[in-house]
Amino acid sequence: MTVAPSGTAAGVAPRQQPRDLAPVSLVDLLDRLLGTGVVLAGDVVVTLAGVDLVEIRLHLLITSVRAEMERERERERERGRQG
Amino acid sequence: MTDEQTARYLYAVCRDLDPAALDGVTGLRGRPLALVHHQQLAAVVSDVPLAEFDEEGLRHNLEDLAWLEPTVRTHDEVIHAAAVAAPTAPLRLATICYDDDAVRARLREWYVALMQALDRVEGCAEWSVKLLTAPRAAEAVPAGAPAASGAEYLRRKKAAASQQTSQDDAALELAARLHEELHELAAASRQLAPQDPRLSGLRGTMVLNAAYLVRTEDADAFAARVDELAADHPEAVVDRRGPWPPYSFAMLEQR
Repeated sequence: MTVAPSGTAAGVAPRQQPRDLAPVSLVDLLDRLLGTGVVLAGDVVVTLAGVDLVEIRLHLLITSVRAEMERERERERERGRQG
Repeated sequence: MTDEQTARYLYAVCRDLDPAALDGVTGLRGRPLALVHHQQLAAVVSDVPLAEFDEEGLRHNLEDLAWLEPTVRTHDEVIHAAAVAAPTAPLRLATICYDDDAVRARLREWYVALMQALDRVEGCAEWSVKLLTAPRAAEAVPAGAPAASGAEYLRRKKAAASQQTSQDDAALELAARLHEELHELAAASRQLAPQDPRLSGLRGTMVLNAAYLVRTEDADAFAARVDELAADHPEAVVDRRGPWPPYSFAMLEQR
């Protein structure tokens, strides 16, 4: 089955879509998919809409990174004491 | 096994999408993709277990990086495949409808706004430009040079702080000028919140995190101009990425 796209049927040349798209990093995706990628409210997640979700998410990540750094510093202090 | 309750997960809404563009691409949990049509529009969807994606499930899962990362990646892969083939409005993560009828009802309800959003992004891609200042001057002060006195210490601290302030002002000014110029070259632009360096992996202070919607035929000129500006300002780091699907530009007007 072939269906002519209606844009071309009307004789209007559609604008060229980019042929190649580059990968997006996780943090850039989170920025966009949780923060601003809002198009359509679904049935379920309406109450989760909004920026606060990103903030929760990022806050959580930062907390875990910070904990990691604390442990690293602790280890360094340990080494300092022994040396 | 078959009585697990499923819902429809929405990835994107496209206009005049050739279904062949999605050949070889699977949805979340390896489920097949499907299209739900309404006039020229098609929503790209797949089945997901409702328990994982209902409000309670999401609340829990979004806090779990081991769940979030592959979900975000798959969402992005589907949108990439669609966006090279047709004008595409990416949907935010975890847009769930109960069934195809509910999806169709959304397409009908939002038809005009979706068509306008697709008009905006057709033939365009998103570029990310970030501007970062060099690592802070205060950190460059050698730790092994102790102040001779308390007054000396305070003087140094004040000098470092005022140097920092003027550096920050200059960086913000540069960010504003850069953004203004790039905005002129783009079909649209948006500023996003600066990212935490621990998440972005980029050094220095992010003073600009901007997204630009650029027409395909202008992409080379846009990229070249960003690189020129970067070369003109060795005191800052310019991070340019793209082209991407128009993630930051497909939202509906919300009033």
